[in-house]
Amino acid sequence: MIQYKSILGICIVFISITHLCAQNDAEGYLLGVSGKLKKVNDYSVQANIKVDMPFIRILPTDVKIYYKQKDKFKVETKGIAIVPRQGFDQISTVLADKSSYTAMIQGQETIGNTSTTIVNVIPLSDTSDLILAKLWIDPIKSVIIKSQLTTKSSGTILTEYFYGNQVDYGLPDKMIFTVDSKKFKMPKNIGADPNKSDTKKNNNKENKKGKIYIEFTNYQVNKGISDAVFKK
Amino acid sequence: MIFWKNTYNELVKIAAKPRSYIGIGAITLIIGIILFAMFLDGQEFISFITASFEQSLSFEGKILNGNLVAFIILQMLIIHVPLLIALVTGDLISGEAAMGTIRLLATKPISRTGILFSKYIAGCAYTLIMLAWMMFLALIVGKILFGTGDLIALNSNGLVIFKEEDVAWRFACGFSLSFLSMIMIATLSLTLSCFSDNSIGPIVSTMAIIILFTIISNLELSVLQNIRPYLFTDHMAAWRNFFEDPIPVAKILKSCGILILHIIGLLSIAVLKFNKKDILS
Repeated sequence: MIQYKSILGICIVFISITHLCAQNDAEGYLLGVSGKLKKVNDYSVQANIKVDMPFIRILPTDVKIYYKQKDKFKVETKGIAIVPRQGFDQISTVLADKSSYTAMIQGQETIGNTSTTIVNVIPLSDTSDLILAKLWIDPIKSVIIKSQLTTKSSGTILTEYFYGNQVDYGLPDKMIFTVDSKKFKMPKNIGADPNKSDTKKNNNKENKKGKIYIEFTNYQVNKGISDAVFKK
Repeated sequence: MIFWKNTYNELVKIAAKPRSYIGIGAITLIIGIILFAMFLDGQEFISFITASFEQSLSFEGKILNGNLVAFIILQMLIIHVPLLIALVTGDLISGEAAMGTIRLLATKPISRTGILFSKYIAGCAYTLIMLAWMMFLALIVGKILFGTGDLIALNSNGLVIFKEEDVAWRFACGFSLSFLSMIMIATLSLTLSCFSDNSIGPIVSTMAIIILFTIISNLELSVLQNIRPYLFTDHMAAWRNFFEDPIPVAKILKSCGILILHIIGLLSIAVLKFNKKDILS
């Protein structure tokens, strides 16, 4: 009986230590990532957005994106642009406050030629919009290669990151967002042709996933951006 | 020469009738109310349209602009304008018969077919003026109030976003095609007008036919599916095809063909009937 209790005790201690180590390692990876992101006080960048979504047809759009610590974000466009509601600045905002989340390593995965560590980030606040962030982190460069954000408001958004010149700041040259596109319900009296019924066509497009491709050029990092830019 | 003089006289007659201004007045009032409402509460209207995407996507830029307002107004009104056009064109022959002036008209040195066509051209000119006024209010006044920008076109298949510089020619083509649809209505009411000696009959009959055909067009019954493509009401909203990407050219040409066939058919009936019309009793 005493022997069983001892084995159980050892197991509990082992699991706790493993859990603690995994948590510490995970936080180490996240610190590396957030450390890079913290080097960026502000940036502006030209972006070309291509949207490939069911129910939406739009030509590629050129926009200018402004970001300033901690959570100021703005997209400036001459026409109409479509951007993902989540995924741009949300990760850096969450990672900036170490006490706001708990993290754990889930495993390893190779994406392309890069071996990544999968880290799960769970916010501690009940009121947080983010439910779970799954991050594929390159432990050598300390950058996020892929992320999967599950939010209360926007469902799940998968983002792939491709880095170039600004890898030292953790800023990507290209991002690909994969988002859920729910069934698009257009008010019949406004949007629909009164003599046309496309019910079957619409049903076929239900529950499809859409992609948004954003390519960034001409980064201006830490050049100083006035707060007034974000108020316009 | 006498034909064009007669056509001019018909235009003057239309301009002199108070009922000719009912349609223009109604359009002005309705568009004025829509513009005012959009000016006050347009953003809420836009969020109502984009709501199903707002969970995942954010729409940046000036969505509420003159182009969108014009597009919404055209969608809302193009269904009702035929009724206002029929008010005038349905009276062109029957009004003369009711007032007893048709006999006097027939004494002119111009054939009955000439009389009919001069009335028809005058009716088409009125239709053009009405549509042009509607476009002016929707597009020009809309742009003055809301500015210009990219257009989010609302189709039953989803959203199509056109660049600002890609919109003007679409409106021009859409306007031309809706003009063809309205001419079709003018022809129908003029034809019915040849069969009647009072104005109410052709106007109400035109409205009844439009309502009947629209109901048939909307009924999802397999029995009616073979008839549907040949009903003119199924092609009256064909102008919207210019706001799709890619543009369904075959569909547009089919719609134009069916509308033109209707116009030719109805005009032929009108010519036959008017030439045989008893103007003595």
